[in-house]
Amino acid sequence: MKTRWEYVLLPSFLIVGLLIVASQYVFLKGSFFKDLGLGRISDTASMVNYLRFFTDSFYLHTLWVTVKTSGLAALFTLTLGFPVAYLIARMQSKWSMILLAGIVVATFVTIVIKVFGLIIIFSADGLVNQALMGLGIVDTPYTIIGNQTGVVVGLMHFTLGFGVLLLYSVIQTIPRSLEDAAQIHGASRWRMHLRVLFPLSLPGVTVGVLMIFNMCMGAFTSAALLGGGRVFTLPVLIQRTVMMEIKYSMAGTLAAVLLVTVLLINLLSIYLIRRLRSARLVIA
Amino acid sequence: MMDSTVHRSREVNGDTLARIAQKRRKGPPPKRGYPWGKVSHYVYCALSYIFLLSPMIVVIGASFHGGEYYTAIKFPPEDPSLQWYTKIPTAQFKALALSFGLATLAALGACIIGIPAALGIVRGKLPGRSVISSVFRAPLQIPAIVTGIAFLQLYYLFGDATGLYFQGTFIGLYIGHLFVATPYVVGTVTAILQRFDVRLEEAAFSLGANRWRTFRRVTLPVIMPGVYAGALYSFMVSFADVPISIFLTAPGFVTYPVELFYGMENDFDPSILASSSLVIFFCLLVLLGMQKLVGLDNLLRSGSR
Repeated sequence: MKTRWEYVLLPSFLIVGLLIVASQYVFLKGSFFKDLGLGRISDTASMVNYLRFFTDSFYLHTLWVTVKTSGLAALFTLTLGFPVAYLIARMQSKWSMILLAGIVVATFVTIVIKVFGLIIIFSADGLVNQALMGLGIVDTPYTIIGNQTGVVVGLMHFTLGFGVLLLYSVIQTIPRSLEDAAQIHGASRWRMHLRVLFPLSLPGVTVGVLMIFNMCMGAFTSAALLGGGRVFTLPVLIQRTVMMEIKYSMAGTLAAVLLVTVLLINLLSIYLIRRLRSARLVIA
Repeated sequence: MMDSTVHRSREVNGDTLARIAQKRRKGPPPKRGYPWGKVSHYVYCALSYIFLLSPMIVVIGASFHGGEYYTAIKFPPEDPSLQWYTKIPTAQFKALALSFGLATLAALGACIIGIPAALGIVRGKLPGRSVISSVFRAPLQIPAIVTGIAFLQLYYLFGDATGLYFQGTFIGLYIGHLFVATPYVVGTVTAILQRFDVRLEEAAFSLGANRWRTFRRVTLPVIMPGVYAGALYSFMVSFADVPISIFLTAPGFVTYPVELFYGMENDFDPSILASSSLVIFFCLLVLLGMQKLVGLDNLLRSGSR
């Protein structure tokens, strides 16, 4: 039976490829023209927007805040998510279905609703502040609106469910018999985790953490709502530049910087992990 | 990646390897201390779950609060009532209907584009297979907000050239959602196809089924769990999206998450709590359906990329 499957793929490839090329080309090209206000742009190409970005400390600070909050959120998501993913993946009772269902619901409910819940929890007379003030830890209500802690918490809620699902599928590809073998041969639980589970899951975990990081870098909602107009990340700034200042070219420049930063950090991490592995530092 | 069938062989005659090892040891099993490691693991996971689920539980709880307008948001709720459920404005229902229709069509479109793509990637004689599959994965690598503004500018340019403006129309919104939804179907179906036993198709073919019949009766049923998983992911991604929709919607034509977003930024109406709770229940319901249809673990196993 000879079916030419490569032709089956062709229409899809053309659609997706065309959409990628067209959309990316238009905004990247636009980012090289100066805004003249009210959505009009100049006719001559120049680097003026990029110059402005890299000489204005506000823009540079925004880029740094974006990378920092995304990186922290990705790391915290990993630390909170990995033990949960491991628990579910190795569980053999009916309970694992219920635990999984909790994760999947948390993944699929829109972040706006979750941020809404967070605001209620952290409001002045909300659960957290009642507990903190009742225990005498703080005198004035603690708030997560308008500071970077809030943005990181919001980003974590955006990615944690998805992160657990990713890590779950990574752990499932590691045969449990390897863990048993290590323990039968006398390895303690910790030693087994360190010498068997960690190195085997590292490639998958790296990919997972990078995906989570990428999600955070493009996340707009939690940063916009919890930043409260005081913390700016690049996605928030892009939306403001388009909706309020109506400067499409500058927004294009911001988007281009964001895109390139994400790609560079991804390539760099993959390169570092490869170096690490070839130097036999990780797989002992 | 290792073969996923390996770890199913760990049971030998119903005994785990650990138990076999223990049987072979002479004398009573070695005494062990209290399993603190295990207990702390459970406690840690319980805290993660509380962190993860508390916002949704609080939203549902607070939606039953029966207070007046300005004291209307309270958790735990007092004087339980359904008052906010009766006060959901029609704008929110309209937005919900739009989101639902959009997400359904996005999932459908993602399958139509994604299934042939996955078949081609796994089975086609392709030069540069990895490049092609990374093209299909690219929309996930592009930050969502960048996709939003990129499509907005594309529509402006296209409109200036042809007089056909897509921003703020259903088609424009749909193309943007389809763009981010498709990679999920490609990913899940590719994962299943890579484990597909081609001899099944050869058998069907040699027994006289034609190509289309073989595909319908053999290939499709096998890849169906992957299709369901991919469709579910793309539905939910579309249903929850803000950063793309916020650029492509227009006043009076907004998806539900965007409506909520503006609601939270501007005039804060407690009826949002009620409609949000309905959405959470809806997500639970979809999940239950999926659990009945294919089983949650099958769904997620095929989702591994």
